[in-house]
Amino acid sequence: MSIQEKLEILADCAKYDASCSSSGSKRKNIDGIGNTSYSGICHSFSSDGRCISLLKILMTNVCIFDCKYCVNRKSNNNKKAIFSPEEICEITLNFYKRNYIEGLFLSSGVIKSPDYTMEKMIETIYLLRNKYKFNGYIHAKAIPGANPNLIKKLGSLVDRLSANIELPNSTSLKLLAPNKKENDIHKIMSYVKNNINRNFSPSGQSTQMIIGASKESDFDIMNKSDFMYKNYKLKRVFYSAYVPVNKDKYLPNITTPPLLRENRLYQADWLLRFYKFQINDLFDNSKYFNVLLDPKTDWALRHIDFFPIEINKASFNNLIKVPGIGLISAKKIISSRKYFNINFDDLKKMGVSLKKSKYFITCNSKYYNNISYNKNFIYTNLINEGSNNKLISGVQLSLFDEKY
Amino acid sequence: MKNTSYVILYDGTFYDLINIIEYLLKEKIKPINIKSQEEYIPNLFDITFNPKNNSNKLFNYLFSYKNIFKNIYYAFLTKFENKEMQIFYFIINFFKYKEKVVYYKNLNCVINVLKMTKYVSNENHKFKGFTRFRMVNNNFLVAIINPENNILELLSQHFSRRLKNELWIIYDENHQLISIYNKTNYIIYKGIIENLSFIEEDWEKLWKSFYNKIAIEERKNLKCQINHMPKKYWKYIIEMEGNENEKSN
Repeated sequence: MSIQEKLEILADCAKYDASCSSSGSKRKNIDGIGNTSYSGICHSFSSDGRCISLLKILMTNVCIFDCKYCVNRKSNNNKKAIFSPEEICEITLNFYKRNYIEGLFLSSGVIKSPDYTMEKMIETIYLLRNKYKFNGYIHAKAIPGANPNLIKKLGSLVDRLSANIELPNSTSLKLLAPNKKENDIHKIMSYVKNNINRNFSPSGQSTQMIIGASKESDFDIMNKSDFMYKNYKLKRVFYSAYVPVNKDKYLPNITTPPLLRENRLYQADWLLRFYKFQINDLFDNSKYFNVLLDPKTDWALRHIDFFPIEINKASFNNLIKVPGIGLISAKKIISSRKYFNINFDDLKKMGVSLKKSKYFITCNSKYYNNISYNKNFIYTNLINEGSNNKLISGVQLSLFDEKY
Repeated sequence: MKNTSYVILYDGTFYDLINIIEYLLKEKIKPINIKSQEEYIPNLFDITFNPKNNSNKLFNYLFSYKNIFKNIYYAFLTKFENKEMQIFYFIINFFKYKEKVVYYKNLNCVINVLKMTKYVSNENHKFKGFTRFRMVNNNFLVAIINPENNILELLSQHFSRRLKNELWIIYDENHQLISIYNKTNYIIYKGIIENLSFIEEDWEKLWKSFYNKIAIEERKNLKCQINHMPKKYWKYIIEMEGNENEKSN
């Protein structure tokens, strides 16, 4: 089989992993090739709009596991391929030199055994780092069930070592990934958490959950994320809308991936990590997010008495609760208002978006254009503005019907 | 400050611009415009003036304020026509407010300089990803770029660290600048490179097939793709070659 054919197969099988970030590491180039950029660098964008930063491939798509949702499951009869360590090094280095990529994302199907698979991955990355002196970014996926010594070795070679939890609870995992034990994945995460340092997975760990392949609610998913952020200090939880690649009686019968739901989960995830929201703030009576409004706006309308916020006086923590005001805008406001009194024109000049925020703030006790303040009025306006938003209109409206 | 109708000319370098601003501040002259000699189109009504100053005092003073210096330098690299006057006003306000000047976002010159700075650093960041090299004679790497701002210096710093042990050339087609790196230093000079139409078939084909395979058909979103990777840059992004005229929906 030619390198070309192998790459096609092994990239095709790796594409469902959502993670492609290359940030968080400060590896320097000491007389070799490559370094890492702390903020990460996107090198291209594929036709699905996702960033391409790393050469995202599987070492092999041969797998002894039979996870229902996975395109590489044992019971699928797709074309199989295996890359040798040297082949992976050659492609990585040549792509890197030409600046196609920021580094390597290496995952794999489980071939022979978890330990054997990990050994092969370690061999590959060891070659890259030592023989070829490659200092670019490497993200490797640990194989659940592998010996902790191997996890230690792999972690000392890469910038990020992580494991995918895939499903939010053990019942779903048993049903859809019968060979994976939840405990094995938690073991990896806790090992990585306890060992992160300059020489071991310096840019931390992340994980992924598949959205819409099992029956958990948004509430269940966010709780799981919250738990993992708190216990394993994850950098990121990636949410990957389930793409129906297999037919199975345990899988939902959908034709399009639930992208809007995925989007809402990401928005809520951000609120949890950076905006000091708690799980309970995100949900009221429903266990699902509002499809029409983002979680922050939804929260604001449910807590309308909290508003308006006075731009020239409010604390940072209150400013970031305003829909449309992000961390950067809030910082700009705080740092500037010491020196002058901010009015609505100043906000515009500073690049603070007024589209949503105008309903929730005052400048020097004045509302924007003296808009009368009323929950229903705001709600109607925001929904109308939102309906121009492509995510909600068109094809993806069909997502509202899915109750997974 | 005396309002004058002078159009001040400088030699196009950052160094000279700052020296000339130093002169203007000392003489309390407020010009109507400051232009580089090369870009300036003579006009019957303008009174041009080309002062000389090599003191570097202002330059060194600004240099000691790292953040301020960076903002002014980056603003200087933009394509915007009025950048020199904005920098002039920004420096006047810098003397008034010192490094706190960046917080005075109600002043137009501050907003404008910060916007220009952001514009340059964003484009520089994009080209750290979008630059594509081709290997020539198994010996050195060549890239052509088409940025709107003059980011070649910044980009060269990046690649001199990253591709430290490679020989490389980056040609900025829009500004007609060439950066040449010899494994130790890079040098940038004015010039045109023509006839660079070779391709590197094997690796480019492999990269393109990876590029196509990594996309998830069910998630197709060309609008999002173009937002992140504007079409104006596609010309030299090899995986996008030939797609420039493709219709997006």
